[in-house]
Amino acid sequence: MTLRAWRWSVGLSLAVLAIATLAVPSPAQETKPTATPAPAAAPPADSNYVGAETCKGCHEEQWNKFAKTRMGRLFLYQARDAAEKNACENCHGPGKAHVEAGGGKGKGGLITFAKNDPTPVLKRNQVCLDCHTKGERIFWKGSSHESRNVACTNCHTLMDNVSPRHQLTRVNEIETCGTCHLQKRAQTMRSSHMPVREGKMTCSSCHSPHGSVTPALLKEPSLNDSCFTCHAEKRGPFLWSHQPVVESCANCHDPHGTNHDAMLKLAKPRLCQQCHTESGHVSRPYGPIGTQQKFVMGRSCNDCHVAVHGSNHPAGFRLTR
Amino acid sequence: MRSVRMPRSVRMPRALLVVFLLLGAAPEAPAQTKTQTQIGGWNLQGEIESGIQGLPQNPNGTHTPGLADGKFEEYRDIRGLGNDNNSGLFLENLQLRLFRPDEAYSIEMSGKDWGFHTQEFHLLGERLGQWQVGFDWDQMRHIYSTDSQTLLKAFGDNVFIVRGSPGGRPPIPAWNSAPSWSCSAASISIGSSDCDGQISQQWFTGRLFFKLSPTPNLDITSELTRIFKDGQRPFGMAFGSPGGNFLELVQPISQTIYEWKTRGTWARDMFQLTWGYTLSVFVNDFPWVRADNPCNGDGVTTIAGGCAAPGASGQFGTTSLPPNNQAHTVNIAGGVNLPMQTRVNSSLTYQWRLQNQDFLKQTYSNSLVANNVSLQNPQNSLNGNVQTLLFNLDATSRPLAAPVTFALKYRLYDYMDFSDQIRFQAFVINDQNTITSNPLTAGRYSYLRQNADLSGRYQIAPPAALTLGVGWEGWNRSHQWEVTQTNEALAKASFDYTPTDWLLARTSSSMGFRRGNFYNHVAFWEANDNQPPGFAGSGSQLSELRKFNEADRNQYILSLLLQITPIDSVSISPTGSYKNTQYIASGLTNNGTWFNTAMLGLQTVISWTAGVDVNWTPTDRLTFSAGYMYESIFQKQRSRNNGPNDPSMDWISDNTDQFNTYTASMKATLIPDKLVFKLGAAYSQALGRVQQYSPNATGSTVYNANQPNDVTWRWPAFYNQLARLDAALDYTFAKNWTAKFFYAYESFVNADWQTGALTPALTPNGSGSIFLGQNWQNYTAQILGVTLKYKFE
Repeated sequence: MTLRAWRWSVGLSLAVLAIATLAVPSPAQETKPTATPAPAAAPPADSNYVGAETCKGCHEEQWNKFAKTRMGRLFLYQARDAAEKNACENCHGPGKAHVEAGGGKGKGGLITFAKNDPTPVLKRNQVCLDCHTKGERIFWKGSSHESRNVACTNCHTLMDNVSPRHQLTRVNEIETCGTCHLQKRAQTMRSSHMPVREGKMTCSSCHSPHGSVTPALLKEPSLNDSCFTCHAEKRGPFLWSHQPVVESCANCHDPHGTNHDAMLKLAKPRLCQQCHTESGHVSRPYGPIGTQQKFVMGRSCNDCHVAVHGSNHPAGFRLTR
Repeated sequence: MRSVRMPRSVRMPRALLVVFLLLGAAPEAPAQTKTQTQIGGWNLQGEIESGIQGLPQNPNGTHTPGLADGKFEEYRDIRGLGNDNNSGLFLENLQLRLFRPDEAYSIEMSGKDWGFHTQEFHLLGERLGQWQVGFDWDQMRHIYSTDSQTLLKAFGDNVFIVRGSPGGRPPIPAWNSAPSWSCSAASISIGSSDCDGQISQQWFTGRLFFKLSPTPNLDITSELTRIFKDGQRPFGMAFGSPGGNFLELVQPISQTIYEWKTRGTWARDMFQLTWGYTLSVFVNDFPWVRADNPCNGDGVTTIAGGCAAPGASGQFGTTSLPPNNQAHTVNIAGGVNLPMQTRVNSSLTYQWRLQNQDFLKQTYSNSLVANNVSLQNPQNSLNGNVQTLLFNLDATSRPLAAPVTFALKYRLYDYMDFSDQIRFQAFVINDQNTITSNPLTAGRYSYLRQNADLSGRYQIAPPAALTLGVGWEGWNRSHQWEVTQTNEALAKASFDYTPTDWLLARTSSSMGFRRGNFYNHVAFWEANDNQPPGFAGSGSQLSELRKFNEADRNQYILSLLLQITPIDSVSISPTGSYKNTQYIASGLTNNGTWFNTAMLGLQTVISWTAGVDVNWTPTDRLTFSAGYMYESIFQKQRSRNNGPNDPSMDWISDNTDQFNTYTASMKATLIPDKLVFKLGAAYSQALGRVQQYSPNATGSTVYNANQPNDVTWRWPAFYNQLARLDAALDYTFAKNWTAKFFYAYESFVNADWQTGALTPALTPNGSGSIFLGQNWQNYTAQILGVTLKYKFE
């Protein structure tokens, strides 16, 4: 597998080499200007709309940045319907009044989406939802964020490419979500953690910030299903089940990070002893002294009770096989 | 176990070096009016950044070629596939987009870390607004240990042997001199495994996806994902109970998850509909792992250094590993807009989880099986079948002229385990000679969870909104659980205040009161062991115990977030939260207090946080930010040593975890469009404490074997800290060229008494139990490098 990956890497880099060699314009090569927008940017039939070219006349810098975004490319070059053909005015509103007033801040009743925009958040969000109510955003209305008056533009910026994906206001998801969820952002620094700060996972790997049918805005039908997406070996069902695992992984783990092994909420054996108070070695107050070491050192309870998420072994009723 | 070491002759950096040099040799485009780089009529934009980096200071002071650097590279790869002393050339970032001038079609290619264990690349082709097809590839690794020791030798990937001199096992103390974890042969022939001295996993994830949007209102997507996991992880194996020993070894991992998802969504002005199907298949190439028992001497009567007599456990053990399984999920959901600003959403999801892998034998000790017919498995497999049903109904409405929005939510999640209930007549306890003939049924756990919420949000005035609500959570569990019915009533309030455009305040609070019908501490035995009600036999729960997930509780939660922007260039965001959970012992004699302090189990959890973020942009060329977060989590639990009927043997554990996290960063544009300096720092510190004492405290600090609970001691603290400093200088020396010089410093300190002083053999107190002896080591590392970036415009 690794050799194949190497070959892919070498092959792709050679492709890049070829592209780079062909792409750099030479003085003798005819250069072509940037493509002009399609006729979609011409003033629409509705007399209250003025067209994107008119907007560009005064807002060229913003127009140029917008033209490089995904939405900008769609609206300005490949509009699919009349609403998209309105381009800038599709979101900001008809521009005729603004133009006739000579432009300027607050003129013409446009929606600016700026922080000091007097337009209610509900109305601003509806502009986005007029197109973006597909998929998980079906559950936006009544969701945790919507019910607290969070605006789409609190997390997203459409006029510039700040993040590589999703048009976020910050360079990545954890910084964007961490604007309000400071504690969760700090939690990514804990020693036992999922690879969020290493860039291998993001908040949206598990959560759906636009709304969902599961508590904590999780994407999957249950918390356990979210975990099973990557940790399907825990899914079972097993011959011998471990009751708290069946109910919720969060009974023992904190997926945002902890300072205990395997993101457990507490060091073993104390964690297990919160539920296991029985006769025998289970309930002893183990500590760092000689005769008790084998029950507390290393992996502690899991050194024997290794199948703690469930066992499929006929003799595994104590989750030891 | 597969190694990811690559021969030196095939190295990405050389290919990148060629690219790098050719790019550098390419003539610079003449300065003229803005032009678009083109290839055959297609425009090209993007960037490629490549460079070299090295480690002037090795983590841990030294580096073993071929090994990753423990915690430093837990999820990262700084050295490259060869784990050599210097990583050489690497690809920092690649983002290229080829597109038609009219933006109708485009191809995007991106990637990073090519040539490293964490490499990724992405390919996307699309017809803008109509269809997309793409492929993602990602590699990730997880290092568990680079300092484990063992005398085990691997025979194949899932069999581990420790044959010492013929007919015997090495003396237990010999494990303390074991070499580093390795599968290399010594005195016996070995299979094909190739262990590279570290215990780690490598994940390879490939994803192929397709999206079609025939109209702006309709999306159809399909994606196929394959995750292949290869490597090992730490594992344990027990050799019989009671009084047996255990062995820490590794679990071989060669697992694949296949997932196929297909989705459709149709949106109109007044309603939206979405539907989907997901198939997930898990395949494990290793259904079991086997290892020699360090304490069984192949005929040698005793093993020096701490084993029990050889009859205490078998020659080897066989432990099952996760079985193959699959899940099918179908869902449909929709929303509709109704008059009076009303919206109703609903969803229905049904899932089947199936598992039917053949059981292992109870034991592979032939003499034991031959003499005990009762050890025969009553059937070959589980016929595992769990089905879940999820139903949601949400409605929001603003029916009144007053600015009040009502919200109603209902959620039902039904977990139904239809797997066979198999009754076993006897069990192997000790593969040498011990079975138990107490029949036991492998019971199935099912439950139904329901949530309902009703709230009203009143816009008191334009800047202020108050939300009040009530909620309910109900659980119905099958009779195998201790509590078959719980109900929790919740009251919620939140207040949002935005008096000016420079101040935002959000606060919320909730109270919850959960009560169950009856706590049956012998439910497991009644359901699975055919015992009569009230059974209190060996191994049963103590009657005063309340498992926290089923216990009665009172819970209070409070949170606050402020965002203050006194001037445009400054923003300050203080935040705080408090959560208090008290578990209550229903059914026990209430000794006059609301909280019965005699209850066993988790009693109290109190957590709180306080932090602030500050951002300051004094000029458009200078930005500062800083943040601090403090967190504290306290858990109090009570237990009883060697119960059940002697409260004088009770003990309490107070467990506290505290965290301090500091961040700071600065970005300065020294020369516009030319020279940018960035500085970032992060420091995180965690302290975990456990203090155990007796409620009948005599204050003794001397351990008494006859009264082991009656001593007060504080565990050595769990402590770790991580510090990181990053500095980078970006210099744009030509129109499309930027050089970056970067430096990083990272320091990690770890103190964990459970692993810090651990040796493989804890004789004489380990009773022949063998550890891997792994521990995260402290490290200090410095990284220095330079990259060159070319931007296509």
